[in-house]
Amino acid sequence: MSALEDVKDVLRDTLQLGARADAFDASTPLFGSLPEFDSMAVVTVITALEERFDFVVDDDEITAEVFETVGSLAEFVESKT
Amino acid sequence: MVALTARALAAAGVGVVLLDPHGTGDSGGDFADARWPTWLADVQTAAAWAEAETGGPVGLWGLRLGALLAAQAVAAAPARFARLVLWAPVARGETFLTQFLRIRVAAAMGDGQAGGGESTKALRAAWDAGETVEVAGYEVAPALAAAMDAAALADAPPPATLPVDWFELVAEEGRDPAPGARKAAEAWTGAGARVAVDPVVGDPFWSLQEIALAPNLIAATVAALTRGAP
Repeated sequence: MSALEDVKDVLRDTLQLGARADAFDASTPLFGSLPEFDSMAVVTVITALEERFDFVVDDDEITAEVFETVGSLAEFVESKT
Repeated sequence: MVALTARALAAAGVGVVLLDPHGTGDSGGDFADARWPTWLADVQTAAAWAEAETGGPVGLWGLRLGALLAAQAVAAAPARFARLVLWAPVARGETFLTQFLRIRVAAAMGDGQAGGGESTKALRAAWDAGETVEVAGYEVAPALAAAMDAAALADAPPPATLPVDWFELVAEEGRDPAPGARKAAEAWTGAGARVAVDPVVGDPFWSLQEIALAPNLIAATVAALTRGAP
């Protein structure tokens, strides 16, 4: 499974997006755009990614750039796995 | 979710005492005064009360950090408990605490302070300096943070004779539990405990913004506790 699909999966599960997540692509904006995507959601998504891929996210990796779009988050996951 | 399960268990003939440890929920005290050993003592007090009240065998059931607390309580008084039920236990308190601190880091990111605002390292340094750190409305005292940091499931394996029901929520049928849970369970098996992680399909209801239920988890828990020892 591609990182993009993995990220969509995690977003769907953790933010209860349901079918809305199916329409997501790399350019879909997240932080600051998606109403569900607040700081609490950022933490939940990071935790879910860590548990799923067994990597550890550092503080300085928690940036607005990483969480800007579905694509930027997928790129980040790819860089960590 | 917890209250629903407690009612379902009660309807199936299993008495349940729901505990809000000191400083949490409806219990007395402020969260700032909450300490891990106090919580452990609260668990033993509640267990002693339940034992006296029912005369029956007493087990512990815990969710997330509460499951880690329950495992430690069992390890501290193995003869007192007949059963341990874990819902998605926090395997390592340190990891949990870091995830908790990230709420502040992520909030700083929203304020446009990306990278420079807050760090879990700096917040941990504040604890080391003896300061209480506020995260998401919780005033976490340095002593509580230190105890949580030191708490790990691997260090509190249950006795080999104790039946353990360990449930992990997975998104869909056929998915494996997260690697962290598998590692912690392996550590217990290595210490002689008889434990299998049971994946149950459902939402991680404790971390969702909307109130969510995991009906399969309620059903699996009631089934496990009413069919006797696994």
